[in-house]
Formats: sequence, C-alpha cells, structure tokens
Amino acid sequence: MQRDIVTVERFYTEQAAALELKLAAGANGLKRIIREPTVNRPGLVLTGFTRYFANKRVQTIGNAEAYYLKSLTPEDREKRYNTLFSYKIPCIVFSRNLTPDRQFLKAAEAVNVPIFQCPLITMKFINLATLSLEMMFAPHGTEMGSMVDILGVGVIIRGESGIGKSESVLALIERGYSLVADDITKVTLVDGREVMGTSAELTRNHMEVRGIGIVNVAAMFGVKSIRREKQVDLVVSLKSWNDVPDVDRVGMDEEFVQILGVDIPHITIPVRPGRDLARLIEVAAFQTKLKASGYNPAKELNDRLIAKMANASKL
Amino acid sequence: MSAKKSTEDDGQMTKDFLFKNKKGLHMRPAAEFVKVASRFKCNIFVEKDGEKVNGKSIMGVVMLAAGEGSKLKVSAEGHDAAQAMEELDNLFASNRIFNED
Repeated sequence: MQRDIVTVERFYTEQAAALELKLAAGANGLKRIIREPTVNRPGLVLTGFTRYFANKRVQTIGNAEAYYLKSLTPEDREKRYNTLFSYKIPCIVFSRNLTPDRQFLKAAEAVNVPIFQCPLITMKFINLATLSLEMMFAPHGTEMGSMVDILGVGVIIRGESGIGKSESVLALIERGYSLVADDITKVTLVDGREVMGTSAELTRNHMEVRGIGIVNVAAMFGVKSIRREKQVDLVVSLKSWNDVPDVDRVGMDEEFVQILGVDIPHITIPVRPGRDLARLIEVAAFQTKLKASGYNPAKELNDRLIAKMANASKL
Repeated sequence: MSAKKSTEDDGQMTKDFLFKNKKGLHMRPAAEFVKVASRFKCNIFVEKDGEKVNGKSIMGVVMLAAGEGSKLKVSAEGHDAAQAMEELDNLFASNRIFNED
C-alpha cells in the first residue's frame, strides 16, 4: 500500500483545470507539502485567535474573511497578516476571484506561500477541493490481474500467466462486458472502505493477447467494451485443476482476500481444458450480485433440507 | 458411528453407517463427504432406503435427505476402493462436522 506526498505543485497541476486555479504569488513555495486532505477557512486566526489553527490544510479566503479584513486599519491588517504567515501554511486560495491586496501578496512572497485565485464560490471550492484532495491522499497500489465490469460487478481475474486470463477477458468482452484493466489493475482506497480499480493511463483500453499481440479493445469492440474505473466487488482466481484438490463445492461460506485492507469476496475456479472460463466467471459475478442482495442459494437450499429432515424424524 | 458389515471383493467394498448428526446429512457434512470421495478414482455410491446416488455429487448426497439416525450404505468400486472406504470411515467416526450435536 502506498500513500503519496501531496505538494502544492501537484495539487495545482492536477486540479488547476477543474478548480480554475490561477497562481497570484509565491511560486517559489510550490514544493510545500499539504499534510491534511481538507480545506480550512482561517477566519479565526485572522481575528487574532491563535490557540488552535489547522495550518496544515489548504487555506481558503472567501467573502467573510475578505470583508472582515477590509474593516481593519492598514496597521492592524499587517499585524494579522504577519500572524497568519508566521504559521507553516501549504497555500492560500482566494475564492470568488477575490483579489488579495498588495500587503497580503508581499507578506506571502516573503515566506514563499503560494497564493491562488479561483472563480468558484467558497462552498463550491471547498467541496471540490476536499474531494480531489481525498483522492490524492487515498492509499493505492497495484494488483496482479485483469479487471472486467460484468453488469455492474467489478471482477479482478487473477491467475498464473498462461492459464487463460486474457482469453477469458476477451470472451467476456465479446459477451458485452467492459474491460477495466488488462493484466495489471491499479487500485485506490476510496473513503477508507471501497476499492476502486482502474488501468494505467498509458495502457488503458489495450490488452495483450498471446499469438495476436496488442489489441485496442475500444477500437475493435466499441466504446461500450471499456470502462475507465470500477469498484472491485469480486476476485476470481484461476488455478490449475490439480492445484485445488479441495475446491469449495457448495459456496455456503464466503472467502475473502484483502486489497488495501478491505475484504473482497474471493472464489477459486479450477481450470481444465474444455471448461468455459468466461461463462464461469460471468456466473460467479451474478452469484456475487445475488449474495450482495442478501440471497445465498446454498444456505436457502440447506435450510430447506434441514427442515425436511427435521419433519421426517418427527414422524 | 457403527459399521455393521464390511465385505471386500475385487476392489468392491460396502459398508453400512448410522448417521448421528443432529441436523441430519445437511449441506456441510454432504460437502465434506463429497470432498473426500472426490479424491479417489473409484466409483462411490451412497444408498438410503433403496435410493442410490453418486457419492461424488453434492446434489445427489443432499437429495437423500438423511436425517439423524439414518442408515446409509456406502459402496466403493475400483482399485483404490479400500483406501477410499477407510477415509470415509474416518469421516463418519471422527469428523467434527459429521458428529456435531
């Protein structure tokens, strides 16, 4: 599991378009690190209350702070600015395209704190910035295995090379399902409880098929055959028949594998020539969907069986 | 578990078992039985009240609906029948799932 260091520069380059950020000052401070994935309004510290200040977050100044600052005398304002900039702050964003005054920019330049302007209203900026910061801070990793979206069930297909992963994926795509990633799936932990799978930017929509080479799935099968990202709901391991002597025959107990610390349902499918793997994976996905809705066919059948035997013994 | 009769004839074995599990031969013990039976090459059958099913089939074994105290006749045919019967015997005698109350 990896966690990235989020610098102001990264926040700026990745979110400049979405948040319409414009750098106004402090370009030398772009290497500063954002240490908490959220946004703070520094109103209290500007009024002089300094006992608690969430200075590790992106700071945003909206109308409330701007009007308050305007109400101060230039001398007081300077003092407050100095207090604000005496803290280690990653960066400050002025929402609503508010223009920082010259004093403010000077104080920021002096300590190399980047200042941005953003046309969004403060609430909108806070919401969007928090969401994108969450994603940047999210733990992530890579999983060996291809990923397919089967009618809303995100399935990672694992197995040793040559066992038939690519063929299964290809067959699933032909059945109308969508490729998320071939061979290597990038996973991200969202909200600390959901695992999202996607492919590497570079290889997106492509897969390698032994004997044919690189295939562009989107070009060959159309846009419906690809999906950019999908929550991981199931992991299917393809294993050689002889390696799984005691495969689960009933499916009453659920087995899990951990991805980024989250338990994901896991099944093992024994592979043997003549087994239609794509069909089996498809059915496994449907079964997962059924179980997620609270229905376990094995358990239901077992309850019926036990009830029948109990009745018979009473007679 | 009480085994009543055991015969051996050219890789053919038959043995009677008294099934004691309180809940009967439900899905879990059935799965255990099938799992063990499937490890062997020989044909394995389970018979109850004249109904005979494949011992390697979950659906078959479950269909017997063998409640507590049922008499089951297990037969094995093939070169590893003796070994299979021994393993299945162990299952009836000491398997946790088979002997739960």
